Amino acid sequence: MISLSLPGPVRRYFDNWFETHNPPSRDPIVLHNRRLYILPTRFGYLFAVMLLLLFLAAINYQNSMAFVLTFMLISLAIISLWYTHKNLLNINVELLMPRPVFCGEFCELKFAISHRNQSRRYAIGMQYDQQPPVYFKLDPEGSTTAVIKLPTQRRGLFKPAGITVFTRYPTGLFHAWGWLRFDLPVLIYPRPLENAKLQQSLVEQSDGQTSTSTIEGDDFAGLREHRIGESLRHVSWKAYAQGKGLLTKTFQGHARPSLWIDWQLIRHGSQEDKLSFMAALVLSAEKHGQKYGLRLPGKMIEQGYGSAHRNECLQALAVFKQSDSEQELPLASD
Amino acid sequence: MPATDQNLPMRSIALEVANRNSVFAVCFCFLFAIAPHFPHLPLWVSGMVIFSLGWRCLQNIGRLGEVPKWILIPMIFVGGVGVFAEYWTIVGRDAGLALLTVMSSFKFLESRRHRDLLILVFLCYFLIATHFLFSQSIPTAVMMLVTLIVITATLITINKREQQVSPRELLQTSSRLVLLSIPLMLILFVLVPRVPGPLWGLTNEQRGGITGLSDSMSPGKISNLIRNNEVAFRVDFEGNVPPQNQLYWRGPVMADYNGYRWKQLPRQQMERLSLNVSERAIKYTVTLEPNGEQWLLALDVPTLLIADSLMTRDFQLLSKKTINDLRRYTMESRLVYEIGLDEAQDYLQKATAYPEQSNPETIAFGKSLAARFNSSDEILNEVLGMFSNEEFFYTLKPPLLGENSVDEFLFDTRRGFCEHYAGSFALLMRAAGIPARIVTGYQGGEFNEVGNYLIVRQSDAHAWTEVWIKDKGWVRVDPTAAVSPNRIESGLDEALADESSNFRIQNRNPIFGNLLYHWDDLQHNWNDWVLNYDENRQRSFLNKLDLGIENWSDMVVALVIMLVAVTGTFWLISWYRELPPRPPGYEILFRRLLRKLARLGIEKKPSEDSRAFLQRISSQPIPSQQLAQADQLARIIDLYNHIKYGRHGDSTLLLKQMRSMIKSLQT
Repeated sequence: MISLSLPGPVRRYFDNWFETHNPPSRDPIVLHNRRLYILPTRFGYLFAVMLLLLFLAAINYQNSMAFVLTFMLISLAIISLWYTHKNLLNINVELLMPRPVFCGEFCELKFAISHRNQSRRYAIGMQYDQQPPVYFKLDPEGSTTAVIKLPTQRRGLFKPAGITVFTRYPTGLFHAWGWLRFDLPVLIYPRPLENAKLQQSLVEQSDGQTSTSTIEGDDFAGLREHRIGESLRHVSWKAYAQGKGLLTKTFQGHARPSLWIDWQLIRHGSQEDKLSFMAALVLSAEKHGQKYGLRLPGKMIEQGYGSAHRNECLQALAVFKQSDSEQELPLASD
Repeated sequence: MPATDQNLPMRSIALEVANRNSVFAVCFCFLFAIAPHFPHLPLWVSGMVIFSLGWRCLQNIGRLGEVPKWILIPMIFVGGVGVFAEYWTIVGRDAGLALLTVMSSFKFLESRRHRDLLILVFLCYFLIATHFLFSQSIPTAVMMLVTLIVITATLITINKREQQVSPRELLQTSSRLVLLSIPLMLILFVLVPRVPGPLWGLTNEQRGGITGLSDSMSPGKISNLIRNNEVAFRVDFEGNVPPQNQLYWRGPVMADYNGYRWKQLPRQQMERLSLNVSERAIKYTVTLEPNGEQWLLALDVPTLLIADSLMTRDFQLLSKKTINDLRRYTMESRLVYEIGLDEAQDYLQKATAYPEQSNPETIAFGKSLAARFNSSDEILNEVLGMFSNEEFFYTLKPPLLGENSVDEFLFDTRRGFCEHYAGSFALLMRAAGIPARIVTGYQGGEFNEVGNYLIVRQSDAHAWTEVWIKDKGWVRVDPTAAVSPNRIESGLDEALADESSNFRIQNRNPIFGNLLYHWDDLQHNWNDWVLNYDENRQRSFLNKLDLGIENWSDMVVALVIMLVAVTGTFWLISWYRELPPRPPGYEILFRRLLRKLARLGIEKKPSEDSRAFLQRISSQPIPSQQLAQADQLARIIDLYNHIKYGRHGDSTLLLKQMRSMIKSLQT
């Protein structure tokens, strides 16, 4: 509502003010007095207009009970201002460690919400930007969780801002809200190229002798649990000596070639296209059980596989920036 | 960060489709708020409300569809025209209410969204005010307080975002909101500077259904009024209440007679108050209930002019506006007086006029009296003697009279009420050549000892006569007193004992009589303090408080201070109540012990419990002079654990011991 008519400088002033008074936090945020704001809602203003009419009517008819009613409703509004504020006061909001997502997916932010008061809290909403809000309530000294979904637009480290906790309970005449700005970035992986495009790109990129990925073979691939009946030749006795139990060495032959996903070997497309392509390759390799490594300018990840390896690679892609061009890390906070 | 863009997601919520429960709640709430109006509304308007609410509820459960726009819009038009056809206006109290009701019931038919429901709830709040245009009594106020709670609960229902809140809790929250508003409301009521109204022209509408004295008198008119036991006005006297037989409350004076009905002469304002008085004035304050006319009742004879009123030449006090609201005024009267000594000739002529053709017997009898006696006094006494000595009866149930009503009454039925006696007496006097007129009003009243004031009811309505005698002026003659002295001396109940009437509280209800006097006193105070609290009353009240609040700006300052003080108190109380519970006594003492030890450089780690802590510090090399202290410390910690984990409830003795042990621990 304020945004309707604020001139630029005033708005910048307010934005600044909000920023300095709601610093991003790594810890749970307690919505104490100084973090809570309250303003009348549209209906609050309508109510005020109605009260004015009622007051004029009371004067005109010199009707004492109409005065009583007017004053009663004014008082009711004052009390409900206080109640609305109280409904949100001293609520503790903690952002639970968010899971990384691919760009374009919805990022799910899970909040643990609690309070230590004896009162019940009703109809508290949590909202990101203009998304539909989620509502929750709290029992005395109770706790709950709320999940809000954020659309993601850019890869990188995303610090969610613009999330509000608000309430208009009980009368809807006032809107109390607090800002949630957490210093907990969400990792957003590049959007992987879709499968069909991946095939096409592979053909395009491999124009000639070199392939986008170099393939090696017959390498030690890793350890897995020994199964009864397997040849003892492949048991890792070193691991056994370390007390890790019987583990079987696995090898990857030509059937499951290992590969390098190399920035240098991808020639076409913008930086983001390249990263998308690489992300798709990582996923595809992981899916087919291939061993893979990543080569980026200024960063190399040794070959390997498994979800931890995959995540490491994707993270490297997510936060990648070209050092020579001094490009800012794309922070997708908006 | 574009902070201000996102803070109020208002529009989206307003446009949400209202949920089922909210729709039911608003329907119920509207019905609750409008139901007391049904008796004031035309039947079709009430029907309209029921129809709309019913339709909306059925639509809500999916039995009916939405009313299409092409039906709704003509209906709105028809509703408006209907109201106009009913009242021939669309403004004023009754027509305005009907229009508001019709339009809000149409609003129900097209309410779909959250926003529509909120507007309807606001309308319900507004409806409360309309009830006060009809009645401002205590029961109405209580009923409206309940209505306020119901409406507020509905508002909460709409705003609870479909969460489960039990109806009990809803009502609890809403009652709490409303009851907490009362202190603030009182502050606003007392201190908000009052502005004299009206701000715009009020239609001086005649409101039906108000009982009271009428502007004409014919047989049977007052006896009808008598059956009504409503309070006409209450009087606070400064000093003693005059005796019952002196309590003649002067109302409309009628000097125009057409053979059947007495009417007022065209009003002529008194140019100057001409009366001879010797004794001191009686001062009193009248709180007059609305009578729908202009009569201001005053003790016979009023000798003071007040604002917004005038006095006619026959000493009748009239308000300049129709009295549709409670009216409070302070008056002065004299019980012993001489008025009209120099009455104008034309008035006296009118006061002796009568139509020759009706009531011939009475007229002949009057003329014969004039022939038989020389002085007016003798004629008076003769007629009064006839009333008291012959078989005349005072009754509320007189037989019906025909065309020549006075003839029939005087010479045939001889049973009548005050208007029969006053009417026939005045006609006889006129026939005998003595100017006479009828005065209607009230006689007597019931004293309420609880609040020290007089209650005058419609059942105290009375009619008497005034005759003009040379050198004496207008003299009050009450023929009813000749027939039934009890009526004047004691009141109607005594006069009509045969008809077992019971108009007085103590007669009506001997058991709860005293309670009823208290109730009436409460109503009187309500009238006095709540309904009459206008700018004058406000000024005098604030002066009486003597807080130096003298003008407009003082009031505003006081208002702000009081509001801040009260809301601050509320805030403090709630802050205190929401504090986490105080730790038990032994924990407080234990913390004191730890602080003491901390000063020695011995600190407990958060991970340690008390025993582990004790073990650790005992194993540490302690300076030798503190060795004795270590024993003491061990004892304290033992005691602490004993209190904490032992099963002996609240042990103040042990706590005391622990406190003294900690105190004696030297550092």
